[in-house]
Amino acid sequence: MLLELAKAKKILFFGGKGGVGKTTVSAVTATACAELGEKVLLISTDPAHNLGHLFGRKIGSKPTRITAGLDALELDPHEIVNLHLKEISSALHRLMPSNLYSEVDKHVTLAKDAPGMHEAAMLERMADVVEDGLKDYDKIIFDTAPSGHTARLMVLPEIMSAWTEGLIKRREKADRFAEFVRELGEDTSMQDKTIGNADDSEQERESQIRQILLRRRHKFNHLRERIADSDMTSFVIVLAAERLPVLETIELHEQLKQANISVDCLVVNKRAPADSGEFLKERQEQEEIHLATLTGALPVLPKQDIFLRAHDIVGLPAVEAMAKQLG
Amino acid sequence: MTKKEKESLLKRIEKGLHEYYVAPYRRSFARAQRDEDDLFMLLVFAESMGVPNPAAYYTLELLPLVYDRFHEWHKRMGMERSPLDHIGCC
Repeated sequence: MLLELAKAKKILFFGGKGGVGKTTVSAVTATACAELGEKVLLISTDPAHNLGHLFGRKIGSKPTRITAGLDALELDPHEIVNLHLKEISSALHRLMPSNLYSEVDKHVTLAKDAPGMHEAAMLERMADVVEDGLKDYDKIIFDTAPSGHTARLMVLPEIMSAWTEGLIKRREKADRFAEFVRELGEDTSMQDKTIGNADDSEQERESQIRQILLRRRHKFNHLRERIADSDMTSFVIVLAAERLPVLETIELHEQLKQANISVDCLVVNKRAPADSGEFLKERQEQEEIHLATLTGALPVLPKQDIFLRAHDIVGLPAVEAMAKQLG
Repeated sequence: MTKKEKESLLKRIEKGLHEYYVAPYRRSFARAQRDEDDLFMLLVFAESMGVPNPAAYYTLELLPLVYDRFHEWHKRMGMERSPLDHIGCC
């Protein structure tokens, strides 16, 4: 079920409550796709860097080869924000007298911890990775951070493109007025007071502002179109057959539905086997009760069970072994 | 008055009349443009003034481009001093 879905889509998101095994399931799916001969990029948007822990090796913010056909990378919002702010402060340094450098840096440093900064940075990199990744890879698989965080990230392109759109409209209006003023000849009265007078450096500046805004809009729209395209993208919710993960799954599904993102599969991870002793049998019966709640709330969604294992999944061979069982 | 002088007088009158009719329009467009620019500045600096801005990360990128208009803008908006704690332009 999961593998069929993975084969059919180009972009796959794995989300769900913390600790249910998103990283393992997404890595296993990615490995299975790579074994089928596809070029897969596996991306973690969780700042906890679980991919590195799973494969038992360091994976950075650049695509790292895991095995033939599978590259992985971990997006680090701290790193992205720092880089972005460094560019801004060096641009500001060029504009301002050197005695104000420390003031500028102070302002920019404060901005680093402003609310929304990390998610905006993450969104930007996701947009880049999706746009570039689709050129180099057949499939992009996202291992996302726990539910709430991800639901927010998925609606962000919508908010951001609306916002950028608003700014662009304002700019266009201002530019149109400036154009009228230019056509009506030399200005005398307002020259010193308007900020958009007709000299070349002003026009140059206007066009830079517009370019920045248009670049943003392109990025957000591109990402939004890809995510909303249900032929291309799908969201898989991973859960454990326990009360809280089940409730959170129902909630996440609702949030994603509101954001127009299609959820096509549920993966119930760490299922207790019924044939391995009295204790696990009892556990399995308990799980059926929780899964009945889940089926009641989301009756049409297909579910795939993955059974509990005696040993941890660590390192590539363990992931590969599990990938073989997926199909 | 020679022919040449006459022509230049006519030209001057024409220019004056043109200016007479066009100036008010130009002024109102210039004012409208300034208002738009001011609003744009407000959006870019919103976060610094306590108005939540969902895209602060992105507007920061515009800061270098609008910074040198900043002083004029905050004066015009009736703020005597720079509203940014850390960038004192005056």
